[in-house]
Amino acid sequence: MEWTGLQPEMVRSELTEIAGDAHVSTDEADRLVYATDWFWLPQMWLDRGEAPRKPDYIVRPKSAEEISAILQVANSYRIPVIPWGGGSGSQGGALPVFGGIVLDTKRMNRIVEIDEKSLTVTAEAGINGKQLEWAVNEKGLMLPHYPASANCATLGGYLAPRGTGTISTKYGKAEDLVLRMQVVLPDGHILRTPIVPQHAAGPDFYRLFLGSEGTFGVITEATMQLDYLPECRLLRAVLFEDLTDAIEAGRQIMTRRLEPFVIRLYDPRSTASRVKKILGYELEGAYMVLGFDGDKDIATLQEEKAMDIINGFGARDLGREPGEAWWNQRYDFYYPPQSLKLPWMYGTTETVTTYDKIEKLYFAEKKAVEEGYREWDIDFIGHFSHWFHWGVMVYTRFIIRNPPDDAKEAVRLHNRVWNTAMTAVLENGGMVNEHHGVGLKLSRFMRRQYGDAWPLLDRIKKSLDPNGIMNPGKVGFGR
Amino acid sequence: MNTVIGAIENCRFCLMCRHVAPVGHITHNESVTPHGIALVAAMQRRGQLTWNTSTLDVLYAEPDGGNCRAHCVTDQPLPAAIAAIRAEVADDGLAPPEVVSAHNRIAENHSAFGSYEPATMHGEWGLFVGDVGFNLARETVQAALKLLEACGLDVVPVGCGLDSGFIPCSLGYPKTAHAQARLCIEEVQRTGIKKLLVLSPQDLFAFLQMHQERLDITWPEDVVIIDLIDFLASQVPNLKLIPPAGITENAAAYVDPTHAVRLPERFDAARSLCEVALGSAPLELFWRKDRAHPVGSTAIQFTRPDIGVRLTEARLEDAINRGAKSIVCDDPVTLHELRLRDKSSMRIQGLYETMLTRLPPHS
Ligand SMILES: Cc1cc2nc3c(=O)[nH]c(=O)nc-3n(C[C@H](O)[C@H](O)[C@H](O)COP(=O)(O)OP(=O)(O)OC[C@H]3O[C@@H](n4cnc5c(N)ncnc54)[C@H](O)[C@@H]3O)c2cc1C
Ligand code: SF4
Repeated sequence: MEWTGLQPEMVRSELTEIAGDAHVSTDEADRLVYATDWFWLPQMWLDRGEAPRKPDYIVRPKSAEEISAILQVANSYRIPVIPWGGGSGSQGGALPVFGGIVLDTKRMNRIVEIDEKSLTVTAEAGINGKQLEWAVNEKGLMLPHYPASANCATLGGYLAPRGTGTISTKYGKAEDLVLRMQVVLPDGHILRTPIVPQHAAGPDFYRLFLGSEGTFGVITEATMQLDYLPECRLLRAVLFEDLTDAIEAGRQIMTRRLEPFVIRLYDPRSTASRVKKILGYELEGAYMVLGFDGDKDIATLQEEKAMDIINGFGARDLGREPGEAWWNQRYDFYYPPQSLKLPWMYGTTETVTTYDKIEKLYFAEKKAVEEGYREWDIDFIGHFSHWFHWGVMVYTRFIIRNPPDDAKEAVRLHNRVWNTAMTAVLENGGMVNEHHGVGLKLSRFMRRQYGDAWPLLDRIKKSLDPNGIMNPGKVGFGR
Repeated sequence: MNTVIGAIENCRFCLMCRHVAPVGHITHNESVTPHGIALVAAMQRRGQLTWNTSTLDVLYAEPDGGNCRAHCVTDQPLPAAIAAIRAEVADDGLAPPEVVSAHNRIAENHSAFGSYEPATMHGEWGLFVGDVGFNLARETVQAALKLLEACGLDVVPVGCGLDSGFIPCSLGYPKTAHAQARLCIEEVQRTGIKKLLVLSPQDLFAFLQMHQERLDITWPEDVVIIDLIDFLASQVPNLKLIPPAGITENAAAYVDPTHAVRLPERFDAARSLCEVALGSAPLELFWRKDRAHPVGSTAIQFTRPDIGVRLTEARLEDAINRGAKSIVCDDPVTLHELRLRDKSSMRIQGLYETMLTRLPPHS
């Protein structure tokens, strides 16, 4: 139901008072564009001519103080507030499912400080990832969170869903790189977390805002750890006959702390489809790209030791060129028409668990999805790309090339596939997500994921946001 | 559907050129990024939206500066698609009055900014001066002609006051653009020119890409089209310019002109000329080379003048933030726009005018 009449105009006048007329929009075109992020469902919904739930207002604040005032207005009228960075989230985290105010942070894009001694950058949360990277590159530095969405995502959007980038295997997830944040709580209170994250002065409350995807407040500024741009990046590709051997090789490289910045292992299905399509290599088996960076002598030695492990499994060394080609073209996968594209149905069911469980989980999910949706000729592909000392993330995808034409039927099929996949993940000791976040898409699995611990999260939410204004319907929190 | 319009189907949910999208960057608004504009256009075609003030504001916010395509791995011709959709809008009589009147001016005078004076001389070498150069930035044209003379060339100025077809095409009037393009070719053929130097990247883009891709016009094979900046860079040894004395560090920033991202070969040539003219390498803007943002000199000055002004101001702010005391640029179109919007004490100097001051006295 559209919200019309005097009250919406009252709200608009208050928002305008805070952010200025030019930064509050109720335009038809704006409301449509902000009605969908990068989640397949709303995109499909729009594409098939169905009306989406639109925000009532789009506001572009300039400061934490303005956000604080906006949240106070939202509390007094009990209107939802949805933080929006680049809208590149794939989980529907930024969707205005109950209407309300979309709070676009992109006007808050200043770099506050680059500290070349401590190697940190402090920036406002709405800064574009690539623009931030260019700025620190000018000082010979890098922000080692390299997501494929750096071109479009914001710093706040890196942190809010706990993102992971291409070189996380050595440098950590976005959340591992943050030292300090400024956050506006749902009641408008502005706070700064302690100056450093590693200390023993009380509990680690700053982590509450990492992964809460705007349900606990708005991140307005962050101080991030930087690194020197590496002297060299050594890349090469190898081909395993068997996926099991490849995972084991990866595990040994990680547990021996050889510090690769990337191990990208494609399952045989992905090797035959994606690697062929984008890189043009026709190969059978499991394709692995391996990278070491930093000082050349150290990286060379690390690579040698890793290759000793790999050779022990009889894998074929494909040399540097295919590794480098992958590195140079790694984001080409995301440009249409090379990317997965409507009218296909697709979803990335990425998950993470420990090494002892990962293979079983991957095969269980693959079997459940492939067997459950055979009549839809479903394709299930995957790669293992973010490796930890204790386990690895598997980035699995399903693709249905001929989904139902009817939008409502498509929603039902989409959600059934997700139910199947997430059930397999949860039953095999995995997390429903490793880096895209929960958003709207996985909200319904949160109670199952957390079990006994869920009420604690629920209590925190209620105490921080008693009116439930912050991003309702997401991360398992209802309205 | 016009095939080029198909690009909006690729762009409507793609965010991969957001980081270089100039209008998105200055407005912070999703709707006026390549994704947003394509989505609005795609939804209008699906009957979810109609063309009205709100949606037309989005359609006409695209500057046609080429940044999206220059960064698109799959080379989607989004600016051409938007121009084609604007043509449909114009055909339906829905184009905003400012757009219509800018178009009418060009259709009547062949020029958006003054008058067109066809060349009467003949020669092998020509310099395409263009509309802005002739009507609004003559000193740049004069400087370019003198530098060419110092290179030993006898050059015929052509296209004096003539729009190359870029503006009407971008406004959504391909027929007028076609007529303008034909006029350019006719004048070059009439004057016997075989080597056509082009002063402004806007016209160069029109001749090298737009005429063929958007208007299906091919230039005669016996005419070689040359970027003036490339030519002058190759002539530096012959020009024997005298470098300014005692300069070790420059406070002049080079602004890559509008459309530079479409002509990447010119990045180095421009910088090498700056170095000769200024005595050392120029300061670099944040938005430089392959990520250079346009000023508001494209059709956006007519379609969304508010955004056009902000684009130009943003280039000036970029220079100020880099500590520049002056700006140097070769393109008369960009220079004119920068001068028009500058409210600071920034000195805005033409590269060719500066080079002229370095010519030995009797050359
Ligand atoms: C082509 C492509 C490739 C991708 N590759 C990766 C990848 O390699 N790694 C990865 O981790 N992700 C990836 N993603 C997913 C997505 O880009 C990331 O999750 C990204 O970090 C989201 O940033 P954003 O600014 O677009 O956030 P949005 O989509 O705008 O928001 C995401 C969520 O965070 C909340 N939020 C946003 N800003 C704030 C804030 N300041 N304070 C509080 N909450 C906030 C929103 O409400 C929403 O719930 C990819 C997406 C695309 C489109
Ligand atoms: S031009 Fe290319 S990168 Fe830009 S939105 Fe379109 S498809 Fe994406």
